Amino acid sequence: MSNQEPTQNSLKPGKWINSTCKMCLHSCSTRVHVTDDGVINKIEGNPTNPSNAGKLCPKGNAGILRHYDPQRFKQPMRRTNPEKGPGIDPKWVPISWEEAFDITVREIKKSLDEDPRKILPSLEDFQKMHIWFWPLAIGNHNFYQSGGTMCGGAYHPLNGYIHSAFGAVNDAKYCNFWLSNGAGDGFSSHLHAAAQSHWVAKARIERGMKVVAVEPRMSIAAAKAEEWVPIRPATDRHFAMSMSHVLVYEKLCDYEFLRKDTNAPYLVGPDQFFVRDENRQIYVWDRKDNRAKLWNDPTLKSENMALEGEYVVNGVKCRPAFQVYKDILKDASPEAMEQLTTIPAATVRRIAREFAKEARIGETITLPDGRTVPFRPAAYNYYRGAQGHKSGMMTNHAFQLTNMLIGNIDHPGGRCGVTITDGCVDNNHCLPGECGQMLGAPHQLGHMPPFSWPPNEYHLAGFFPVGVNGPHLNMLSYLEPEKYGSTFKPDVLVNCHSNPVWSIQGPRDKWLQFLREMRFIVCVDVIPTEMTDFADVVLPSSDYLETYNSVMIEPPYTEGICFRQPITPPLYDTKSEEEIFFEISERLGVLDQYNEVINLILGFNQKPHLMLEPGKKYSDRDIAERVGLLWNDKPIEWYMEHGHSSTERRLDKWYRPWDGMRLLFYIEDLPFQREQLRRQFEEAKVPFRHEWPFDDYQPLPTNVIDPIHKEAKEYNLYAITFKDIQLNFGESLSIPWIKDITYRDPVHTGLLLNRATAKKLGLTDGDIVLVESPYGRLYGRLATTEAMHHETLGVSNALSRTKSENRSALMAGGHYNDLLPYDMRNTDGATGQPETSCRVKLTKLDDWPDFLKGGSTVYDYIDSIKNAKGKGGLQ
Amino acid sequence: MSKLGMVFDLKACIGCNACVVACKQENSVPDGIFFTRTLSYEYGEYPNVKRVYIPTICNHCEDAPCEKVCPSGATYTRADGIVMVDRDKCIGCSSCAVACPYDMRTMLDKSALEKGLFGTGELTPFEKQGYGRYTPGTSLKCDFCSQRVDAGLKPACVATCPTNARVFGDLDDPNSEPSVLIRKRGGRQPLPEKNTKPKVYYVE
Amino acid sequence: MTQNSTNAVGNSFKLGYRFQSYWGTSMARAFFAAEVGTGTFLVSLYFDYLLGMILGLALAGTLKPFFHLSHMGVPAKAWRAMLRPDRSWVSRGGISMVLLVGFGALHIANRSIGLDKTLGLDPQVGEMVRYVAIAAGLVVICYQGMAMSASESFTLWASPLVPVASFCYALTAGALSLLAIGWADLGAEPQAVLVKFLESMLLLDLVIVAGLLIHARSKSKGGAFSVNLLMRGELSGQFRLVAVFLGLLVPVALVAYGGTQRLFVAAAVVAFLVGFYTLRTLLFKAAVYEPITHDLAGSIGLARSR
Repeated sequence: MSNQEPTQNSLKPGKWINSTCKMCLHSCSTRVHVTDDGVINKIEGNPTNPSNAGKLCPKGNAGILRHYDPQRFKQPMRRTNPEKGPGIDPKWVPISWEEAFDITVREIKKSLDEDPRKILPSLEDFQKMHIWFWPLAIGNHNFYQSGGTMCGGAYHPLNGYIHSAFGAVNDAKYCNFWLSNGAGDGFSSHLHAAAQSHWVAKARIERGMKVVAVEPRMSIAAAKAEEWVPIRPATDRHFAMSMSHVLVYEKLCDYEFLRKDTNAPYLVGPDQFFVRDENRQIYVWDRKDNRAKLWNDPTLKSENMALEGEYVVNGVKCRPAFQVYKDILKDASPEAMEQLTTIPAATVRRIAREFAKEARIGETITLPDGRTVPFRPAAYNYYRGAQGHKSGMMTNHAFQLTNMLIGNIDHPGGRCGVTITDGCVDNNHCLPGECGQMLGAPHQLGHMPPFSWPPNEYHLAGFFPVGVNGPHLNMLSYLEPEKYGSTFKPDVLVNCHSNPVWSIQGPRDKWLQFLREMRFIVCVDVIPTEMTDFADVVLPSSDYLETYNSVMIEPPYTEGICFRQPITPPLYDTKSEEEIFFEISERLGVLDQYNEVINLILGFNQKPHLMLEPGKKYSDRDIAERVGLLWNDKPIEWYMEHGHSSTERRLDKWYRPWDGMRLLFYIEDLPFQREQLRRQFEEAKVPFRHEWPFDDYQPLPTNVIDPIHKEAKEYNLYAITFKDIQLNFGESLSIPWIKDITYRDPVHTGLLLNRATAKKLGLTDGDIVLVESPYGRLYGRLATTEAMHHETLGVSNALSRTKSENRSALMAGGHYNDLLPYDMRNTDGATGQPETSCRVKLTKLDDWPDFLKGGSTVYDYIDSIKNAKGKGGLQ
Repeated sequence: MSKLGMVFDLKACIGCNACVVACKQENSVPDGIFFTRTLSYEYGEYPNVKRVYIPTICNHCEDAPCEKVCPSGATYTRADGIVMVDRDKCIGCSSCAVACPYDMRTMLDKSALEKGLFGTGELTPFEKQGYGRYTPGTSLKCDFCSQRVDAGLKPACVATCPTNARVFGDLDDPNSEPSVLIRKRGGRQPLPEKNTKPKVYYVE
Repeated sequence: MTQNSTNAVGNSFKLGYRFQSYWGTSMARAFFAAEVGTGTFLVSLYFDYLLGMILGLALAGTLKPFFHLSHMGVPAKAWRAMLRPDRSWVSRGGISMVLLVGFGALHIANRSIGLDKTLGLDPQVGEMVRYVAIAAGLVVICYQGMAMSASESFTLWASPLVPVASFCYALTAGALSLLAIGWADLGAEPQAVLVKFLESMLLLDLVIVAGLLIHARSKSKGGAFSVNLLMRGELSGQFRLVAVFLGLLVPVALVAYGGTQRLFVAAAVVAFLVGFYTLRTLLFKAAVYEPITHDLAGSIGLARSR
């Protein structure tokens, strides 16, 4: 048999090309096999990248079917049906690129000339920051894409304060105790899912790392955990604070770290600001000399800095920051928090003690680079589910303080900062701030636009000086323009790889109306989505197997550039995003500005010879080449051969990159920003200044209760949504192979409800229900399980698609996002992060409503799998 | 000769099904057919509930019932222990499918090759380059990616598995990775009472 | 929305019962035709009733191959089915079928036109032909059950009672058919013997079916699941009403009370055949793969549950 022609794809005559995945926003290294006939027939992980080590997640494995999706846009198209709506055929007619650019630029220019703020960008290509930031070239700061609040709206700014980094990760290389709170990191999502789950599995299997998962749904993390602790949604902060309560009141903290490496000893006055001398230097209390000293007093030894107590300095009553938190935590005992979290106090105490014990406070480790540093192999991991709450900044801060109390920040085995990109190989992301502190850097994706009244941004970004863009807030300006001071209304939507119709929370009918009122919508995309159904012109982009790119995007344990290159020429008459946006920029007359934006965003200005020149357009290859050169001066040919320059993260950038600076236990910048913003609101007489949630800016978290818990009693359940690894970060449900594995996995086949709860409510497995929140509704079918918190409905993101021209993506009975609020009451004043859980009630229905009866919903598909007949259960 | 087998590490498996998709792309598997599946199993009562992900694949049994019942001689075992189907000999009687206690055989319906993965009736270039290896009406199964194995590579599902939950190698070699794992962590075969002598083991 | 058998998982990736769906209606029809036809042939041969032999052999010799070919994925290569009699019951059965059809036809020819005398052959040769036809027929009415019971997959099938059931049902069908075909000219005595034979055979069939269920239920959870489907679940209507009541109890009553009366016999034949066919399909439909929920879960060290 061995002399047979190869029938397995990877062995057929052809060649392997090293490239990079883009099936989610991260960038695992791939090797792609293309046959001598030019057909891509296998994508594998590239084993030379120490991040994903040859591994790929199911999405990465499914890229071929995106490439060959028969529904791909094959040429530019113009709409002929003026009626726009979900599933309404736009009646596309093919047009030339010339005509497509003519129309697009003419329409954009019309609004641009009037008021640049009338352009609404929705540019979601997270591997191409130079596309994401294109609006800066036209002086526009609007934002209508989900990246931001629907991933880590509060997570990123807070990581910026704590690590001066975009992301953060538990150090799987040494960690022995992994507390996972509302996160998929290391199991099902985030931070290069294949890479992270690889290293975390190694830690679990080879070192016996223990995992405890605290979350309302038993996710994959909880399934693999030694212990699953169900928690009521939107009480994660209270759980973290009850953990911290135990650490503080049972004296289980790393006091040496807190004194030496954080600002926990800095004295705080009653106004929430540090107590300073006339030169703005901060005081601490020397408990040996029993007097206040300035932080940099040469006679002051860190071991003598008081962490606790109450003092009077220069007539001001003050406490060390640590004591301030200790006082806050007084009311956050496990016993008190149990009422809210539903987690038994004894469980919290047990976990907190084990957490502290496993942290091995006092132990050190000598690293290969010769440094001896604290060894803290226990860490608290959290992400999308836990962080996405109304009090987002405080919530994330509470998580990180639990880490900080045991001294694990950026230490082996602990909680380490992960930069989104370092640009140039020798850059250090940590910069000194004032009074010995590290500079807090909440603006990990660039600064927010300055405050303005009336607002210059439709989504009110100027009101969030340390936040991220909150796309849901566009709805405020749209629905209440007088109240929110809207002096303009966007009428042109520029969209690229973004599906806001699907991914932004709030009332669907109003969002659809919002889009219908747009004068012109241009979509740059690969396949039809809910969004492209609304486009007036579609500019088809080449896909990730046809283009160049270079990117480093928060790889958890490595650094370096992942390089993408064309495996085949474009299958159709498509262009790269670069070609499209350079062309549009030139025709709009903003090419020079765009080139300058790119020089800034991608950091080319750090190496002047790489800077884009005025008046020149560049290709995807040109940009990719420069990003590679910026990193390590290697030419593009080198990258074409190797596919990446990824290496293990150098120890000095990984462990204690801030060495010699103090970490921000107490974030004084938050009250500072609050007061400044309050002043701006007052001076501008912003009409809603008295109802604006200034209180969300706190230097230390409090145990304030989020509004979700105060909804009307009739909403007797909570609801959460979730994705697993096959849905992680971006559309994949139109891919047959992903549908194959998703709709066969029981957690994605129905609305998950605790079995006993269902019984109590008179409901049973398979019941068709109407789910209503105070803000919206959806229809679905119950799947009862033991693996849900007893008050919580779990709605898979696989059950979220609406009717669209993409016939591969199956319509469900509404979208979880429709259930969510969009108002300021439910939005974090500090970060713009909206609440992503909600309260719901269920009503049992006799049958599906008419619009779901056609036999073509996701539930019909699931039935066809369950009732599969024929040989071998083929459908 | 060698005795190729696989060990599934149930502690490692995260049920991501990357293996399933990797198999589909390596072998151009037609729609609706799975040579490997990861089954999800919940047990216990809230809140003391557990979920385990159980990868399944052809067990390449030493006493393969599918081979015994095959009336045409299409099913055979290679010298290295891989249980194969010769599609030129298979008559599509599905005796193997009812004989396999693990439901790891599938009969290929012609419609799967015609409708294609997108169900449009038109095949993608990927499918066109791949479907030549299949004869409608015959029995399909996992062959441990025998051609990759011959070329010194690991099966596609093993190579891609993010958590190394699939360990492949020679069970006759006491020092092979799977042998060591079976010994150290007490490997168990699926449905041993069926007396098929599976060459697939599970460790917890 | 189906909510019938909670543990049946279809083609999903859930651990639970997966239905046998490889052998379906075509196979059931082939098995049914073979057993009814061969049974009729054999019983007719016993009573040396030519019309019965011809009809029986014709039924088995045409419909069985037809339905097998329509089941088969690659019918053009059907001949390959006979290549492995050393290990495969399908091969053995295929060869037996060829022998049955060949030697059965020879025997019929011999019986009707006295082939041996015409060709001047030793009468022993005619006897040999007869014995080979009988032997092949006996294999045919057993091997289908053997092909099923040889499978370890389904507890419902994996019982020696399955081939026994095939055998008994085939003879019952043969006897009933003969009674129906030969009502005019079979003679009173053979008819009386057949009635007696049928009374006991129908009751024996009932006992065997009951035995099948008891065996399956006691042997494994998958077997119990199948039995539950038949006795209480979604297949219970067909099984209890059609396969058992109509297919066995009604014919017993008809034969016992009606004896050889034409209408009663006709009704009994119809009822029995409908029941028999239903049982054939139900044995395929109710068979489930042993779910690792219980056995594999136990065998790989997982906690057993539910």
